[in-house]
Amino acid sequence: MNWTFLRIDLVRNLRDVANVAFVIGLPVVMYVIFGGAFGAGDDVVGRGNTRFSIMCAMAAYAGSVATTAVAGTAAVEMLQGWGRQLALTPLRPRGFVATKVVVALSVALGGVGAVLVAGLVTGAKADPPWVWWVTFAVAWLASAVFALYGLAIAQIFRSESAVSIASASLVLLAFFGNLFVPLSGSVLEVGRWTPMYGYAGLVRYPLMQGELVRTGPGAAPTPDPLWALVLNFAAWALVFATISVWAVRRGRRRQ
Amino acid sequence: MNGSGEIALRLRGLRKVYHAAEGPVVAVDGVDLEVASGEIVAFLGPNGAGKTTTLDICLGLVAPTGGSVEVFGGTPRDAVRAGQVSAVLQSGGLLRDLTVGETVRVIAALHGVPERVGLAMERAGVTELARRKVQACSGGEQQRLRFALALLPDPPLLVLDEPTAGMDVGARRAFWEAMHAETRDGRTVVFATHYLEEAQAFAPRTVLLDRGRILADGPTAQLRGLVGDRTVVATLPDAGARVAQLLALPGVRDVLREGERVTVTGTASDEVARVLLTQLGGHDLEIAAPTLESAFLALTSERGGAA
Repeated sequence: MNWTFLRIDLVRNLRDVANVAFVIGLPVVMYVIFGGAFGAGDDVVGRGNTRFSIMCAMAAYAGSVATTAVAGTAAVEMLQGWGRQLALTPLRPRGFVATKVVVALSVALGGVGAVLVAGLVTGAKADPPWVWWVTFAVAWLASAVFALYGLAIAQIFRSESAVSIASASLVLLAFFGNLFVPLSGSVLEVGRWTPMYGYAGLVRYPLMQGELVRTGPGAAPTPDPLWALVLNFAAWALVFATISVWAVRRGRRRQ
Repeated sequence: MNGSGEIALRLRGLRKVYHAAEGPVVAVDGVDLEVASGEIVAFLGPNGAGKTTTLDICLGLVAPTGGSVEVFGGTPRDAVRAGQVSAVLQSGGLLRDLTVGETVRVIAALHGVPERVGLAMERAGVTELARRKVQACSGGEQQRLRFALALLPDPPLLVLDEPTAGMDVGARRAFWEAMHAETRDGRTVVFATHYLEEAQAFAPRTVLLDRGRILADGPTAQLRGLVGDRTVVATLPDAGARVAQLLALPGVRDVLREGERVTVTGTASDEVARVLLTQLGGHDLEIAAPTLESAFLALTSERGGAA
């Protein structure tokens, strides 16, 4: 890891005001709207209340948007030929990917942290207190997988609009990942195979322990065992990492 | 060639085939080349000759389809890691939202030579641009920045891919003056260009490339003789009757006539001019140096016009 490379790249990302507002501001606004829209925000859910559950979802969204956006800009850099310039230095492809993951995690720290602070001041509750800390750690650190997602998707589309494509498709993944509205039935069964489901389930695990919210009369959906969430997360991480390393190698060639 | 005998660059049977939608494209088609340490070599050829692909292979940016490449006896990637080779790339290669100073510091840090930032910027003439964003720099200024990046590892082999493309005449001259300073301490330089004048002014040795093959490889001065057809154009009264007389002059290859205007092609431009002006009453005389196009025409026609 090269610290100068890391520092200058981080400063570059934070200089982009529009990007920072979109990544850190939007999830907080969504939490405030969703968290206040349901009158029953104080209902008991798992180890906490409904507001905490919505906070978990928006923290997961903030983390994944942050890392996707940072990685998407990395793909645009490749299109500008920066990958060829880097290939003329001792930096290896995995060093480049690792640096981008750290930059993405730093921005995600801001996004996840902002949502949790918003939850803290608006009455999100969980007990015992470690639920807060574990939720924070999982939402923040596990968002790294979406840095790989952003890099992979953007490299496949290979244009300056790649970042928008990656961010927009993230909204769809968030829906199937059970982040926006509680899913049930066949939509839930499909969702269980999509990339954000494992990450979202893990963020909520300290609160829900795999239980799912009942969406109507009848039995609640089958709970998610921890191993299934971990497997979903790990499998998609592997897929995105493989595509990313391949894409960085391809980025060295002349455009 | 200098006496050290160390080989900076060795290409053997190099081939590169790209797979495009319309079928395979042979970019490099069997290139054999050795560049000794300290040499300055021009790769001269039109667009699509395979210059950039060959240089990309030498830098480890592209893997060859066949043949081998050695840079100081090792792989290109090893040479890049060891700081033995660096390059000024033809286009791209810069982040628009970084400043010039940040760009140089990043690349210097990756090479592990932060102490060379000031020196490289000074030599490339970008010190006063340090705080400017890359996107606010002119094409010539961006090229000087790329040059600064290439100087950072202090490489014994410097590769330049059409370094003056898009520069105006003044910027081009300034660039080559800066380059001259860099070659005094025995640096090996390989550069691609499609300007015959740049090869003549800067490279003692020129490699002529066309369609992925080497057409000629030798001292640039000899190459000039090889392709040294100049054209002498003049207005000549009674031109039709003089064509045979002009063709009979030694060193004249061809004579074309359009009305009273004659175009004489050959190596003996001085003699032709003298005859035209003093004996035949010619006027409005123009002499043109060989162009790259005429050079290629001469070389390919000598090979029987197979292409």
